[in-house]
Amino acid sequence: MADDEKREQMEVGSGDVDINDKKPDKMFGLKKWNLVAMWSWDVECDTCAICRVQVMDTCLRCQAENKQQECVVVWGECNHSFHNCCMSLWLKQNNRCPLCQQEWALQTTGK
Amino acid sequence: MMKKDEWQFEEKWPKMRPCVLKLLRQDSVSRSEWQELFMNVHLVCLWDDRNGPPRVHEALRTDILDFIEQAQKRVLDHQEDSALLKAYIAEWKKFFTQCTYLPLPFGQLETTLTNKASPSSQSKKNQNDESIVRKLMLDSWNESIFSAIKQRLQDSAMKLVHAERNGEAFDSQLVIGVRESYVNLCSDPEDKLKIYKENFEKSYMDATEAFYKAKAPLYLQANGVQNYMRWADLALKEEEQRAMKYLETRPGCTSVAALTECCVNVLVTEFKEQILAECAEMIKGNETDRLQLMFKLMDRVPDGIAPMLKDLEEHIVSQGLADMNSAAEFITSDSEKYVEQLLDLFTRFSQLASDAFSDDPRFLTSRDKAYKHVVNDISVFKLELPTKQKGIQNKTQPESKCPELLANFCDMLLRKTPLSKRLTSDEIEGKLKNVLLVLKYVQNKDVFMRYHKAHLTRRLILDTSADSEKEENMVEWLREVGMPADFVNKLARMFQDIKVSQTLNQEFKDALYLNSKEIIADYVNIKILNAGAWMRSSERVPVSLPRELEDYIPEVEEFYKRKHNGRKLQWHHVMSNGIITFCNEVGRFDLEVTTFQMAVVFAWNQRPKDKITFENLKLATQLQDIELRRTLWSLIAFPKIKRQVVLCEPEARSPKDFTDATLFWINQKFALVKNGKMQQRGKINLIGRLQLSTEKSKEEDNEGIVQLRILRTQEAIVKIMKMRKKITNAQLQSELVEILKNMFLPSKKMIKEQIEWLIEHRYMHRDEDNINMFIYMA
Ligand SMILES: [Zn+2]
Ligand SMILES: [Zn+2]
Ligand SMILES: [Zn+2]
Repeated sequence: MADDEKREQMEVGSGDVDINDKKPDKMFGLKKWNLVAMWSWDVECDTCAICRVQVMDTCLRCQAENKQQECVVVWGECNHSFHNCCMSLWLKQNNRCPLCQQEWALQTTGK
Repeated sequence: MMKKDEWQFEEKWPKMRPCVLKLLRQDSVSRSEWQELFMNVHLVCLWDDRNGPPRVHEALRTDILDFIEQAQKRVLDHQEDSALLKAYIAEWKKFFTQCTYLPLPFGQLETTLTNKASPSSQSKKNQNDESIVRKLMLDSWNESIFSAIKQRLQDSAMKLVHAERNGEAFDSQLVIGVRESYVNLCSDPEDKLKIYKENFEKSYMDATEAFYKAKAPLYLQANGVQNYMRWADLALKEEEQRAMKYLETRPGCTSVAALTECCVNVLVTEFKEQILAECAEMIKGNETDRLQLMFKLMDRVPDGIAPMLKDLEEHIVSQGLADMNSAAEFITSDSEKYVEQLLDLFTRFSQLASDAFSDDPRFLTSRDKAYKHVVNDISVFKLELPTKQKGIQNKTQPESKCPELLANFCDMLLRKTPLSKRLTSDEIEGKLKNVLLVLKYVQNKDVFMRYHKAHLTRRLILDTSADSEKEENMVEWLREVGMPADFVNKLARMFQDIKVSQTLNQEFKDALYLNSKEIIADYVNIKILNAGAWMRSSERVPVSLPRELEDYIPEVEEFYKRKHNGRKLQWHHVMSNGIITFCNEVGRFDLEVTTFQMAVVFAWNQRPKDKITFENLKLATQLQDIELRRTLWSLIAFPKIKRQVVLCEPEARSPKDFTDATLFWINQKFALVKNGKMQQRGKINLIGRLQLSTEKSKEEDNEGIVQLRILRTQEAIVKIMKMRKKITNAQLQSELVEILKNMFLPSKKMIKEQIEWLIEHRYMHRDEDNINMFIYMA
């Protein structure tokens, strides 16, 4: 295995040949950059106070129905945030924010 | 009309008697004689109903006894055993046949006598079996001839059987005939086999036991255990067959089973210890045929198998560990060899269990138990899991490194490697299944999960999966072997997420083309992943990106902001990577590198020939000390290449040797060497085995394993308590192990600590009367 590991790293002589092949101005030049980032909801509290699941995970209902993409987050004017699914259900019973008891006013919906 | 007197007994018996005697002697009787006998019995019973029937009965008895006496004389004329038996059987057969015929004419007598004895059972129809005359005949035979000579009969029959055991041929019908007479002789309706059992069966048993009691110890002494086993097995088989022949086998008769048990006792149970003493050596020598024989014999003996199971277990553990230890040098550095060695052991032990013990479930259980021991052993390698509690570092018990190596091997099969290229798809699948097989025996499966997930992350981010279908199959196989659902679901989610990210990358490029920024589109690929699916900890690893790279970041952020709402991005440069061109005096090369490696070498772009100190590189890159050391080391000492990209002085043997003053410079003579020839062009991957995680995060990973175990243990205890309400300590421990077994084996110490914690936090309390009983608190 050790030898294999080494061989896999080298592809001698098979590098792309530049058509103009002129001497570049810098010793090192960029050819390809694979950038990696993680995204997360921009929330103050990681956990949805309604279903007690982390907002980065889908809410309990969506977990059961295996819906990954649709389960987004909503923010109120009070800056509290919840799963959109959880909040819509909550609003059918109660028009106040579960955390601060202020009247719920939608600030933005995550996308 | 005849006179009534003529129908009296005195008148009629002389007319009946000649026919009765003829019947007893089996002489021929004419139809009219036969009918006359019926008629006379009828008349006597009808007209002489007071005295007639008892006197007929009495007269019959006298004649029957008389006949039997003659028969006895004829039998005892023979001295020699077979002749005696032959004569007896002949007489008996004749007599027994007549037991069927002689009662027939006396039907009326039966009715009259029975009615007299019990008037209520008038309607009772006499079966031949219950016939009074038949009973009279059989009882008479039993009382006279049989009682007088049964000992001689049995002795003679057993002598013949003995002769047969010693290999002499004789007419087996003689013994069978004797047995049949015993079986048929009984007139006791409650237990029809009484006479047979008390006499024939018993004497057969005694003779058999005596025979082997004398023979077995001598044979064992003269021929040794191995030959003895073969002999005893043969003897058991023979005796079983013999018993089928000579003993009664009608349904409900247990003679053969009883005889077999008797043989097992005298042939096997008696020498159990001596036989078992050779088991361990036979297992060691892989003498499967002999073991098979021993298994067959011992399986018939109470507690015969348990010592064999123990021997097998001990063998597997000691052999397995010895093999692993002797190969330690090769396998510790090579996960493929390690897994193959483990599998080889498994195959060998399974073969043994199959060849020697026919895959008997008890032996398979022993194999599993012992193999588990080998797999989880820590003498070859161990994994130390540190825990940080209240700021104090303390190490938990070391564990087997097996799951880590299994995960590494999986990675080699699933990643584009020379190994995975060499193997066919079926071969790869076979090897993955083998990994899963070993994994079943691993106690700390959570360690496997951690490493497997890390490798998968790396493969997906670097696009190095050999076969994406196989990747997804593997996830399902892990589910099938019982890996926890939340773990498997998370892996599945990573696959979904990477597809979402591929779409996003395409959209990003389309948007750039639309804005005439094709150059950026050519240079940059983005992977923006869901933090919930990929990783929890969000460790910030600082790095100062070179200008060449930094310029692209706002472009991506802007695009993302237009597309999404309410999201924040965190760059994971520790995972990002790319290809750079490197021009020096020799030629021009493509290098596949990590972003950290880029950040380091780009520092020379402004001053290509300079020697830069470690300290200045630290300032230029903003990398943490440990990360800079690791990155530089990968550039000055990349394994197996003759010319390195970066050189340094003074010489260093490990990353620890660098000081702030160590000088680094770019190797202007760098080149790839193929077959001893220098190449001016070429491409090399310098990412290699460089982890896509930081040193610190690896340590956190291991700490995370311990933290997660604590959490899982607490959850499981609460779950059990909620269900049981009240439970003993022992019961709680065993249910806990059951729940957690697909993740890890909780140590006694940890369970105890978590129980204490839960008691302290009022989830449960101890019973006041019994400190070993816990009660749930809602
Ligand atoms: Zn929710
Ligand atoms: Zn939802
Ligand atoms: Zn609120």
